[in-house]
Amino acid sequence: MSAASQLNSDRSPPGCLDSLLSVRNVRKYFPIREGALQRIVGHVRAVDGVSFDIRRGETVGLVGESGCGKTTLARCVSGLTDITGGGIYFDLPHKQAILLGQLSSPNAEGGPLPGHKQELERIDTAHRIDRLEGEAGRRFRRNCQMVFQDSFASLNPRHLVFDLVSRPLRVYREATGSELTERVVELLEQVGLGRQHLYRYPHQFSGGQRQRISIARALALNPEIIVLDEPTSALDVSVQAQILNLLNELQSQRNLAFLFVTHDLSVIHHMADRVVVMYLGKVSETGDTGELFKAPHHPYTRALMEAKPDLEDESSKYEFKGLEGTVPDPARPPRGCRFHTRCEFATESCGWEIDDIVRCLEYDPAAFETLSGVERRSDFDAVLTFDDAKSANRLAEMLRSGAVPKALQDSLSKLELRDRHVSVAFEEVDEVPLTSRGPGRAAACVLDPSVIASGRNG
Amino acid sequence: MQPVDQEKAVQARPRPASVASVRNLRVYFQSKRGMVHAVDGVSFDIYDGETLGLVGETGCGKSVTGRSFLKLLPVPPGKIASGSIQFKPHATCRNCDGNGCPSCEGTGRQSAANSRGRSNEKGIRDSVDAEIVELLEIGREEMRRIRGDRIAMIFQDPGKALNPTLPISEQLSEVFLLHRTSELLEAAGLPASTGGALRRFASQEQRFGDSLLMALPPNRAFRNRLVGALNKMVIEALGDTQVPNPAKLMARYPHELSGGMKQRVMIAQALACNPDILIADEPTTALDVTVEARILELIKELQKKRRTSVLYISHDLSLVRRICDRVAVMYAGKVVEIGSTDAIFRDPRHPYTRGLISAVPSAGARRGELAAIRGTVPELVDPAPTCRFAGRCPFEADSCRRFEPELKPVSNGHAVACFIDSAAPSGRQPTFQSAAV
Repeated sequence: MSAASQLNSDRSPPGCLDSLLSVRNVRKYFPIREGALQRIVGHVRAVDGVSFDIRRGETVGLVGESGCGKTTLARCVSGLTDITGGGIYFDLPHKQAILLGQLSSPNAEGGPLPGHKQELERIDTAHRIDRLEGEAGRRFRRNCQMVFQDSFASLNPRHLVFDLVSRPLRVYREATGSELTERVVELLEQVGLGRQHLYRYPHQFSGGQRQRISIARALALNPEIIVLDEPTSALDVSVQAQILNLLNELQSQRNLAFLFVTHDLSVIHHMADRVVVMYLGKVSETGDTGELFKAPHHPYTRALMEAKPDLEDESSKYEFKGLEGTVPDPARPPRGCRFHTRCEFATESCGWEIDDIVRCLEYDPAAFETLSGVERRSDFDAVLTFDDAKSANRLAEMLRSGAVPKALQDSLSKLELRDRHVSVAFEEVDEVPLTSRGPGRAAACVLDPSVIASGRNG
Repeated sequence: MQPVDQEKAVQARPRPASVASVRNLRVYFQSKRGMVHAVDGVSFDIYDGETLGLVGETGCGKSVTGRSFLKLLPVPPGKIASGSIQFKPHATCRNCDGNGCPSCEGTGRQSAANSRGRSNEKGIRDSVDAEIVELLEIGREEMRRIRGDRIAMIFQDPGKALNPTLPISEQLSEVFLLHRTSELLEAAGLPASTGGALRRFASQEQRFGDSLLMALPPNRAFRNRLVGALNKMVIEALGDTQVPNPAKLMARYPHELSGGMKQRVMIAQALACNPDILIADEPTTALDVTVEARILELIKELQKKRRTSVLYISHDLSLVRRICDRVAVMYAGKVVEIGSTDAIFRDPRHPYTRGLISAVPSAGARRGELAAIRGTVPELVDPAPTCRFAGRCPFEADSCRRFEPELKPVSNGHAVACFIDSAAPSGRQPTFQSAAV
């Protein structure tokens, strides 16, 4: 332990430019298979182009609803899941990170130049976690540990605590015999357990204690980063407070970096230095915790804050309310801004498309039943066919009147009614990119932050 | 049915009319190591039309309390050792005969306290002639009549509470078939005196051969009318929970729906018969925060419209603060503090309540300095008569380890079970200043 703490003091202080883990445009698609031959008919885009950095000794919070891809991303980062595209780089020096950014940005020819290709290859084999081999691979794996949400499922019920916590030490041949036992006791004491717990099974512990065992196991190899996937979601508030205090204490002792995945904003606010807000596989906003909570730049962040107001803050500027609708299908994510289907601030340039009309129809059962076909020319241009002219007329009326969101109406570029057919077209909109909003701050929204802060759509 | 001590009943009733009063409820569970006192002397009232929050950590007995209202506890190993739960159902409004009028705000019902002259052989009258049902003593058949009709429950995990083998329509129509037979017959245009197979069909008590009878004319036509009326009732109930396209939803199975949608179906099921009390056992724990807020808004809205009282069981303090009128804090099988939400959160008097509130991470708390409560929840196997929080309490004094504090009022409607605000029988008294670190 003393040797380890010496090592820690040598580590660079937080705030330096070198990042411990660089996530670059990571994509993870899960195939959808159908039929007897299990042909791939589509992909669920669980993570769709996410980039961020984790520096030494800092906590990055990852928030979002269930199904937004945050757990998948956490598993990708810790190397448990292969990624479809992009790259995750471990211990990438700042210079090479800049180089990587230049090299992988698309140039005129569409691909990297031959010289660049070699350079990229060199960075990849040295730092990309799925390309690391031999000693470098072992170094990454022992420095990146994970704590899972469900401590029931992540601790083998047939192993003793001693077996569970000593496993990493034995795998890396760190210690044997009585030294091993002493190391395990030391780890258990660090997380608030003791020698008396060595020879017990996981089921003999409470939820909070089991989570402590998971943390002890993650600490065993003295890692530099721990990925925490909802470590306190299953716990009571008083136990949650104990675990959060423990994590903070360990972080300051060992200069650990955390990737803290959770859906609980109050926990993120308390724990994280920087926050990444995800929605449907994409980052919708990222920034310093304090600034992000002070003034959200994305309507989704605001909606999350409204859904879970702070307990202490009575004069909260947000009223308690939820979000309309459900998360859209990640196999067919909405065009433009992915949040526009549920956004109360949506404007005509947020990417309205044919699917939105179909969604509106679902709220009108009579009309939806009579819809017999949708002939698409693109996501923005289609002809909707109904069983009778009356229903077609009704849809046209709906689109002209206030029955649909105003922004949808404004973005309609064509609306023609011919007998049973309604042909509609929207202005084509590209995906809303993540734009920089000052140092370390970025948001993917077309609106001005002041509009979101005021809570009204101009 | 045993006669209830009338004097006690009158005494127990506070100013606002209560729909249910729990008195000294004790629920024990037999285990290998001895009797687990899961609920140990819990008393509280649920007032008419209010939301009472029941908060506490895992294993403090809050769900057991909620389930004992409806006889949903596993007996054995569970055992209701003592206590009473008196339920005062709303009476049909005298002015409109249940059709809805201004005096009952369109609900067709009046709270027990201001209804008069209605009783039957099942109930007993208290001083204001309201009928009282002793929930712990009635038989299975009577409980079946109350369960889902007068008292309904929403469970924590909608995925487990709905039957995976039945479509939504069947799960919902069950409620109407069981509790609304006469309304159903009326809606189908059949006389109330209808008997035989048709009535059995409308009350879900089919016998052998009934399906054959029902398939023959003219019963077949009547049956179709009944099914039509039933579907209409189901669609209406689903529509109340703001489900898009309820008619289409009816044919679906639970696994086809999202968590929020399943919870809506369960709410529709629970509120279908316009219950007097809704017991919500952590209804949003399994849901996302954004969906959670929508569901709570919905419960609140429906509650207002129907004047239902809600017993909201939760461990989430920030939620309870937003939606409840009063809060009861439970710890280790006992209510340690009860009062209006405002009083509890503004001026918590019990050290445990204070601990719980400060354990929630908030903007003000410094990193790594969350006020965690030390220690763990004690085992409830044959507990000693001391303060249950002793050992974890930062303010404890020697009297806490020798005597058991009782729930004593500190101000109007706010009661605390701690020696901090009431004199200890003997020994040194704890104060908020004497924090032993």
